[in-house]
Amino acid sequence: MRILLIDDERPTLDMMQLFLEAYGYEILTAENGEEGVAMYQRERPEVVITDIKMPGMDGIEVLTRIKALDPVTEVVVVTGHGDMDLAIQALNLNAADFINKPVQKDALEAALRRAQERISRHLGAENRVSMEDRGPVTVLEIQGNITSRSETVLQDAYNSLIASEKQRVVLKLQETATINGAGIALLTQLLMEGARKGMKAGITGISDNFRRVFEVVGVTRFATLYEGEEEAVEALSRL
Amino acid sequence: MPGVHLPLVGEVRFNLKNKILFSSLAVVMLVSVGIALVARYILISSLTRELEYRGLGIAHSIADRAAGLILTQDQAQLVSLAFEATTVGERKDLVAHIYILDTELHVLASTFIKPFDDELRTANIIPPGQSHSIKLLNTFDEPTYDVAVPVKEGIYSVGSVHVGLSKEHIDQIVGKLRMAFLGFIAGIFLIMTFISERLSRHITRPIHQLIRLSQEISRDNLDVRMEFGGRVGDEVIQLANAFEDMVKHIKEYRTELRRSQQKYRSLFHSGPDPIFVLDCETLSVLDANPIALETYGYNKIELLGVSFQDLSPEFVDACHPTFSMEDKDSQAGCMFLPKVINYKRGGEAFYVNIHACATTYEEKPAIIVSTNDIQDMIEKDAQLIQASKMKSLGEMSAGMAHEINQPLNAIKLGSEYLHLIAAREGDIPRDSLKKVTAEISRQVDRASEIITTLREFGRKADLTKEKMEITKPIKGVFNILGQQLALSNIEVVFHLAPELPRILAHNNRLEQVLFNLVTNARDAILAKETAWIKEGKDVEQLERVLRITSFARNGRVGLQVSDTGTGIPQSVLDKIFEPFYTTKETGKGMGLGLAISYGIVKDYQGDITVESVPGEGATFTMTFPAVP
Repeated sequence: MRILLIDDERPTLDMMQLFLEAYGYEILTAENGEEGVAMYQRERPEVVITDIKMPGMDGIEVLTRIKALDPVTEVVVVTGHGDMDLAIQALNLNAADFINKPVQKDALEAALRRAQERISRHLGAENRVSMEDRGPVTVLEIQGNITSRSETVLQDAYNSLIASEKQRVVLKLQETATINGAGIALLTQLLMEGARKGMKAGITGISDNFRRVFEVVGVTRFATLYEGEEEAVEALSRL
Repeated sequence: MPGVHLPLVGEVRFNLKNKILFSSLAVVMLVSVGIALVARYILISSLTRELEYRGLGIAHSIADRAAGLILTQDQAQLVSLAFEATTVGERKDLVAHIYILDTELHVLASTFIKPFDDELRTANIIPPGQSHSIKLLNTFDEPTYDVAVPVKEGIYSVGSVHVGLSKEHIDQIVGKLRMAFLGFIAGIFLIMTFISERLSRHITRPIHQLIRLSQEISRDNLDVRMEFGGRVGDEVIQLANAFEDMVKHIKEYRTELRRSQQKYRSLFHSGPDPIFVLDCETLSVLDANPIALETYGYNKIELLGVSFQDLSPEFVDACHPTFSMEDKDSQAGCMFLPKVINYKRGGEAFYVNIHACATTYEEKPAIIVSTNDIQDMIEKDAQLIQASKMKSLGEMSAGMAHEINQPLNAIKLGSEYLHLIAAREGDIPRDSLKKVTAEISRQVDRASEIITTLREFGRKADLTKEKMEITKPIKGVFNILGQQLALSNIEVVFHLAPELPRILAHNNRLEQVLFNLVTNARDAILAKETAWIKEGKDVEQLERVLRITSFARNGRVGLQVSDTGTGIPQSVLDKIFEPFYTTKETGKGMGLGLAISYGIVKDYQGDITVESVPGEGATFTMTFPAVP
């Protein structure tokens, strides 16, 4: 897999290149946005990792340009620590993922793994939802990325949940799934409606990054985040 | 009354009284001598003539009676006629001798009892055609005036009569006359002496009183009275009255002066600020008020004579041009020194404002120095500056986080790489190892440099100023702000002159000023960008340049911060350095930044000005005095 690294910091580029090459990735580097976009057009790498704050063309614009060139490209943005607004802005622009600076090995590994899996499975916009009864709790497994296009599928699932009159639900997201701004808005809206009707919800299977995003946008007010499915079922059963 | 010398009575011999006396006597003397000379001439000559006429009369009467007797040659009758003539009335003393000669100069008769001296016959011959002849002769060692008249019978001269008038007698009469005259003049002289003495005494007595009075005044005794014994109206009395008025005024002024002195003395003693009186030449302390002693921790005996250098070295350095001994004109001047460090007795430093003025102390030139303890104000100032600094630090915390994140990120990745390879138990390629370790070290340095800059910035400034290059704060400020400006796509252009003279300031505080100016410039450019976006202009065309220029001219060193931002409207330019004035929207800035910057610049005798073309940008220029 070829990865294009865009960062205005040469040391960061060098270190990241060494690090990722150790994983066996083929690495391209660019020191600014313009150069990055040009190199993307030339080389068409599968994954782009770009810093958000850069002089000249910044990460957001790089993201926009690349998504315009090819919406399927996995673009991971690197944000400053706690820069949630920019992260959410990037997610709204269909960034695949975001990682915080200083870059943690695990976060980078996970982001790349998810990206690779998505690429290998070609999980585009399609969502598949399966429901499973676990006693008083319904487990709703959602595959694929959650975007604005997931609205119909999610709404259907939600309607059937309401119909089943079960008041406890666990949303089980796939580990490789990403969720963009529109997806977050959709999810928030459905969970809010459910909460108003007395539904208790739990969410599992989200990465640490998205955990932060969910906290910031307020999803956690309507649903509790759990580490694993079993834990979630158990906790909700007890309510 | 200093400066006016009053002569003492008797000290000068020719005082006014003597002058009047002597001059009037001299006039009397001159007049008398003149009269005497004239009188002598007139009296003596007329007296002599009168006597001669008498002699002539006698001679004529003898000649009348002798004509017949000569013709008859009656010598006996002639002799009795001659003796008779000498004895008539008082002629006895006047007439020394009488003799009668015939035309052949034979002695017909004489009153001599001695044999007739033949020389007498020819001694006084009446020249032809003359009616008489008078000659001074010496007869028997006795000077006589010989009066000769001819004896006539009809138209014929028959002989001559000689009457000898005694010169001694005439001289006696003249002498008597002279004595009487001299006695008269001496009498007048004595009277005049007496009168003029009284007159001069009368004139000068009030003057003497005035002199005595002035002497009393000069001995500081103003309670004197004048008595002129009821004299009113004359000039001397008028003078004395004027003098009395003057004394009265002096008394009033004295009282006023004393009151004023007391007032100032009480101000000096009870004033809230330390006041020193310094010797103009040595700058040693001549006097100090109680609060000065208290503030500086000295007692009076210790402080007197101490050089002011010990208390305020900076003042001593600065005061020489103002109070130099060479330039007397400038001594009238005053000076003000703000924020000067002074030292208490134990060496404890504190800030004061100093006012100093030239004055006179005990009739010597002196400097009066008033110091005003502004330590509290300085501390408050420092707190305010510190608070504004902390606020700046807060404002840029996001940028700082980014700034520190960069090296941390590289370090993290490098170490993660090392960790990864180590975990795999694989070999690290030597080149990679070298690269990673070198990079980690470099990035740690970079991070610590940022932290150092931050710490420096956050630190309170030292008490003493340093000689520094004006470009020194630029490094610190752009260490912190450089990346942020780059991320805002603002180009920073430096025009830094090499080898500028140095200035006296605190690097730390100048950093703060520069920081403020640079962030304002950045905000102005970004505000212009926002405005362009609103107006739908092409932001790509926006010029985003910040220029930092350093220069030296006219003994001053300057730094200029110029931007291509929104600029400042003309109406606002005057107010821009006022505290709490801000062009930013409410809540986005306290409006203290420029006011604090202004204060800091002023502290270093600097100047800060602003020029702006609205819509084109603004230029802030600071200048400071260059130090050698």
